[in-house]
Amino acid sequence: MEIYLPIAEQSMNVFVLLGLGAAAGLLAGMFGVGGGFLATPLLIFVGIPPAVAVASQANQVIANSVSSLQVHWRRGNVDLRMGLVLLIGGMIGSSAGVVLFTYLKRIGQIDFVIAVLYVVMLSTIGLLMLAESLSTYLKRRRNPEAPRGKLHTHYLVHRLPLKLRFYKSKLYISALLPVGLGFVIGILSAILGVGGGFVLVPAMIYLLGMPTAVVIGTSNFQILFVAANVTFLQATTNGTVDVVLALLLILGGVVGAPIGSRLAAKLPGVVLRGLMSVLILAVAAELLTELLRTPVSPFSLGTREVAP
Amino acid sequence: MRRLLIALVVGLAGMAGAHAQGPRAEPPPSGLPGPPPSVPAESATPDLVVDLSRARVSITSAFQGESILMFGMFDPPGEVVVVVVGPEARETVMRKERFLGLWLNTGRQSFDDVPAYYAIAASQPLQRLLARGAGGEILSLEDRMSTVKPVGSRAAAEMAKFRSGLVEVKRREGLYPAAIGQVTVQAGRLFRVDLPFPSRLPEGVYEVKAYLLRDGKIVAAVSRPLPVGKVGFSAQLAGWASHDGALYGLGAIVMALFAGWLGGAIMRRL
Repeated sequence: MEIYLPIAEQSMNVFVLLGLGAAAGLLAGMFGVGGGFLATPLLIFVGIPPAVAVASQANQVIANSVSSLQVHWRRGNVDLRMGLVLLIGGMIGSSAGVVLFTYLKRIGQIDFVIAVLYVVMLSTIGLLMLAESLSTYLKRRRNPEAPRGKLHTHYLVHRLPLKLRFYKSKLYISALLPVGLGFVIGILSAILGVGGGFVLVPAMIYLLGMPTAVVIGTSNFQILFVAANVTFLQATTNGTVDVVLALLLILGGVVGAPIGSRLAAKLPGVVLRGLMSVLILAVAAELLTELLRTPVSPFSLGTREVAP
Repeated sequence: MRRLLIALVVGLAGMAGAHAQGPRAEPPPSGLPGPPPSVPAESATPDLVVDLSRARVSITSAFQGESILMFGMFDPPGEVVVVVVGPEARETVMRKERFLGLWLNTGRQSFDDVPAYYAIAASQPLQRLLARGAGGEILSLEDRMSTVKPVGSRAAAEMAKFRSGLVEVKRREGLYPAAIGQVTVQAGRLFRVDLPFPSRLPEGVYEVKAYLLRDGKIVAAVSRPLPVGKVGFSAQLAGWASHDGALYGLGAIVMALFAGWLGGAIMRRL
């Protein structure tokens, strides 16, 4: 069954889009991060213009983070203070990101930048995860009672000015670090249409030293507002948010997420992370081949400008 | 000196414009189907009568492209040629080149007055019909494209590459059908032709024009405007998005908040 997407201005199979949403939701349910970083490249693979894919995906991220936030808020797993500090950076970063996006779109380089950023980001994360899960797996096999290491280390984080106390996270660190982190995630969010959870969550654990329990809830809190900001700015400046597309992805995600969390409960974490890293690397490789392969035609068209 | 130069450039541009407009013998059609403008204005009994199977192409939520039938009758002898032209706009062609092993856009060239859509159908091979170059305003795609005005200048050979790149992309999108369509004639005086429109179709008022040719000369021409536009839900959404982006953006946010909240609530109950 085909449906016409009013902003993307093309028809597309409903089930392909629902399936994409479900796949992203499955990942979200399994790993507790949004599936945006896989859904956006997949949307591009099926032929949605990258600018529309990114902006509509940002719209979908809102729904994803709301349903996740619901659970974590009720359990008290949101560090509101940390979330707000992250959000300061996130708002500035995402606004700057949309400006950058608009500029890149105007000079005709946005598709290239999106592809390159995805390749760099996905391959880095995929390799790190693969290495981590392999080493954990090998260590566990050798020594099942391995010590878990230090709770957190003291380095740069603790020497910067503007220190703030984050009670829920049991941290006393400079506010500059979460603001900076939020800024970077905001830019990623605007240009790539991702929530950024897959970068934010590890950064919160390893860089800020936050306890794992509050990480997901807090990251979802910041992602919700940043994604809303990106959606709003993309709609007003570029007009590339396709709500029909976003709604189909959301519907798919609603079905996929619970399946994902049930799967996650059954499989051991190492295996999960290993599987995920392979998947991420596969998408990165596909995007890279697209960039390297001689295109069918070197020509493409920019936006049609009807004379006023 | 500078002023003189500007005046000269403006003058030249005007002349170029006049030249490009040259073959079009009459003003573009307005929104309503007026009286059929026939090229050699003559007799009260028209030589050529046409109609379209639909008055407009409606892009609905289920739109997947559409085929519109043009049919009509003519006084034999003669051959029929049908030309469909989409609204004109500026198009920018981008060219990818390999840079450090990666393919990225390195060149761009804009053209003005590029028809969104261009298709020709004929009851006989077009070359034969227009053999003596007497087709007048009937232009093959190549001839039509040679009149689009580039913005700025560049070496002729390069410009030609971009021009053919433009045609190539449009062709790939189904907006410049490569083959000349077939006008079927029955009983020597009834004709019909299917006009294919792809799913990615720019909006605007298209012009469907039928010509009656005798001995390679146009003896009658009838034009019908064919509005192409989104209707219903997708029209409302698209209109909303382009006229009031802020409200549309807020609506999108509210939709996602509600859908996410509802989805989460339902799935936890199951």
